[in-house]
Amino acid sequence: MSNSEDPKVTTTPHIVKEELLVEGKWVKLEKTTYVDQAGNTRVWETAKRTTRRSNTEADGVGIIALLKRTLHKDCVVMVKQFRPPLGSFTLEFPAGLIDKGETAEAAALRELKEETGYKGEVVGVTPVTCLDPGLSNSTTHTVLVNINGDDVENIHPVQQLGDPEFVEVILLPLDGFQAKIDDLLRREKIVADAKVYIFAMGMAQAFFKPRELPVLKQ
Amino acid sequence: MEFEESGIGEECGVFGCVAAGEWPTQLEVAQVLTLGLVALQHRGQESAGVVTSNGASPPTYTSHKGMGLVSSAFPPEALLKLRYGNLGICHTRYSTTGISELQNCQPFVVDTLHGKIAVAHNGELVNARALRKKVMRHGVGLSTGSDSELITQLLALTPPMEELDTPDWVARIKNLMTETPTSYSLLIMFKDVVYAVRDPYGNRPLCIGRLVPISKLHSTGAEEEDTEGWVVSSESCSFQSIGAKYYREVLPGEIVQISKHGVQSLTIVPRPEGDPPAFCIFEYVYFARPDSIFEGQMVYTVRQRCGQQLAIEAPTDADVVSTVPESATPAALGYAHQSGLPYTEVLCKNRYVGRTFIQPNTRLRQLGVAKKFGVLTDNFAGKRVVLIDDSIVRGNTISPIIKLLREAGATEVHIRVASPPIKFPCYMGINIPTKEELIANKPEFKDIAGYIGADSVEYLTVEGLVSAVQEGIASLNKDKISSGSVSGKMVGHCTACLTGKYPVELEW
Repeated sequence: MSNSEDPKVTTTPHIVKEELLVEGKWVKLEKTTYVDQAGNTRVWETAKRTTRRSNTEADGVGIIALLKRTLHKDCVVMVKQFRPPLGSFTLEFPAGLIDKGETAEAAALRELKEETGYKGEVVGVTPVTCLDPGLSNSTTHTVLVNINGDDVENIHPVQQLGDPEFVEVILLPLDGFQAKIDDLLRREKIVADAKVYIFAMGMAQAFFKPRELPVLKQ
Repeated sequence: MEFEESGIGEECGVFGCVAAGEWPTQLEVAQVLTLGLVALQHRGQESAGVVTSNGASPPTYTSHKGMGLVSSAFPPEALLKLRYGNLGICHTRYSTTGISELQNCQPFVVDTLHGKIAVAHNGELVNARALRKKVMRHGVGLSTGSDSELITQLLALTPPMEELDTPDWVARIKNLMTETPTSYSLLIMFKDVVYAVRDPYGNRPLCIGRLVPISKLHSTGAEEEDTEGWVVSSESCSFQSIGAKYYREVLPGEIVQISKHGVQSLTIVPRPEGDPPAFCIFEYVYFARPDSIFEGQMVYTVRQRCGQQLAIEAPTDADVVSTVPESATPAALGYAHQSGLPYTEVLCKNRYVGRTFIQPNTRLRQLGVAKKFGVLTDNFAGKRVVLIDDSIVRGNTISPIIKLLREAGATEVHIRVASPPIKFPCYMGINIPTKEELIANKPEFKDIAGYIGADSVEYLTVEGLVSAVQEGIASLNKDKISSGSVSGKMVGHCTACLTGKYPVELEW
């Protein structure tokens, strides 16, 4: 990259000012003034959740839960719900905001229990990840959970939904996951969450395509 | 023990599974099938085969067959291939002396007018020769010598009243059952259904289990909606290891339909007037696993009762009772309990030494036996031993054992056999040596004790065996649902190899 005219101009981009434009109950819109790499001052429209606490980095958790039962295929637990911003039903991983004083792991198990009725065990947590950084500062931890499907509690799970919540639990086997999601998308007017679909593609790649040299593949 | 040694074998085990509820199922049908076969491994070790169906219209059948034990015949790639099955049937095959014949491995799959069927068979058709001629006269060519292929071809024949586009499997199966009276326990898979069939004499076993969530396996809380699938098996010993609860036996002559909706009895084909059923008594004596349940009773318990009956019929003045490990142990414990003599172990078995019948001559065979067992001298030196065995067929394997015991210090060795002597061939699926080879038919039998080097030898009588078996069968009649008439007495066992009385007229 040549920039021979002005060798001293490479700034670390940073935020200068954040001005509140509109605030609702859950979401607010801010005008973010920042300096870009070239040293120019610019403006960005940023959406933020009002629920984010100052001392935490993540707004919420997303849960990738695997229902494991003896002599059964492992199934990914997903939820289908109507999402007003899209005006459509979506297929997503169970998710929720982290409550005050909660760890990401605790929030994940709680949300999983509420939305699906399953009692799980945390087996991993991702670092803080951003969700839609061109639009918003919202971040999440994705928590990996195993559900012991042989446990009596998990045989006929009962959801504990809040008053306006309508959540349908969808179980799809990890085996042929992407194909099954495609079937579902064909059958129903439903939009898959990007994280779900990319996870499915990753699983398809990992499971059934051997590591091969692209050059040698015919 | 000599059954094992001499290679008398049960010709096969069959197993099937149908997933309940929505398809494609989340139940790992292929895994359930292979685990079921592993539990039936004692019924056949030569080869194993699985055929699964995705239950669609038209269905896709996937099959895998392999030689040897299930663990070697079914590598992970095989299970991967079979993983789209929503139902399936499978089969373990007993060792034959012939060349390895992978193409002869069951289940057989054939195309019929209405689509593919897969068939798994346990048993031997008593009128196979005549039937083969009949089938070939119809213009059907046969490519193997096996009964099971014959059955598959008979099922493919169109019954007279059948409509062009609707298969009538009950009629086809009934047709088969009128053509051949015994012996067969069959699993027939067609599209999205498995038909479980047992010949009208019930000669070979077959029972049904219900798959429930693992945590509900032992509780009484497993409701109907918990049913995850249905399994059908030659023996119930397979159920525990796959999380299935014992449901019921397939009755003699019954055709049962197993689908994702459940188990339905379609009909019961009766036996000719007056004929009792003829369940192979050797399933109790030797072949079945001790934890299997037949006619409402556990095999182990029956063997124990045989030992008790043996102690009543043939008591011995001795110091200790022992067993030839391991199949004779329940009988030995029964004998000890009845006689009041203490039970002890005198032989230590090397389970890594295989069958000795493959050794070329008697002497080497006897040496082979010597390697198979070691003696627990401290337990019996200076004592009079009663040794219980489940069989003496040729007499070759027990004599070296007696010699071993004497050399180690047993003062007397008395043999008590927990089954009657075998004198006749079996045409229903048990591979017994020729009549001439059977010790009971030789002149030596008059002084069998002298022949094998024992102080005395006594066998259980046929009456004793039958009473030990039938004592535990509670009034079966009351519990059984019959959609058709069930003729004759409800309880009966085939003792043809012991008495020469065959359950049906044998055709030649």
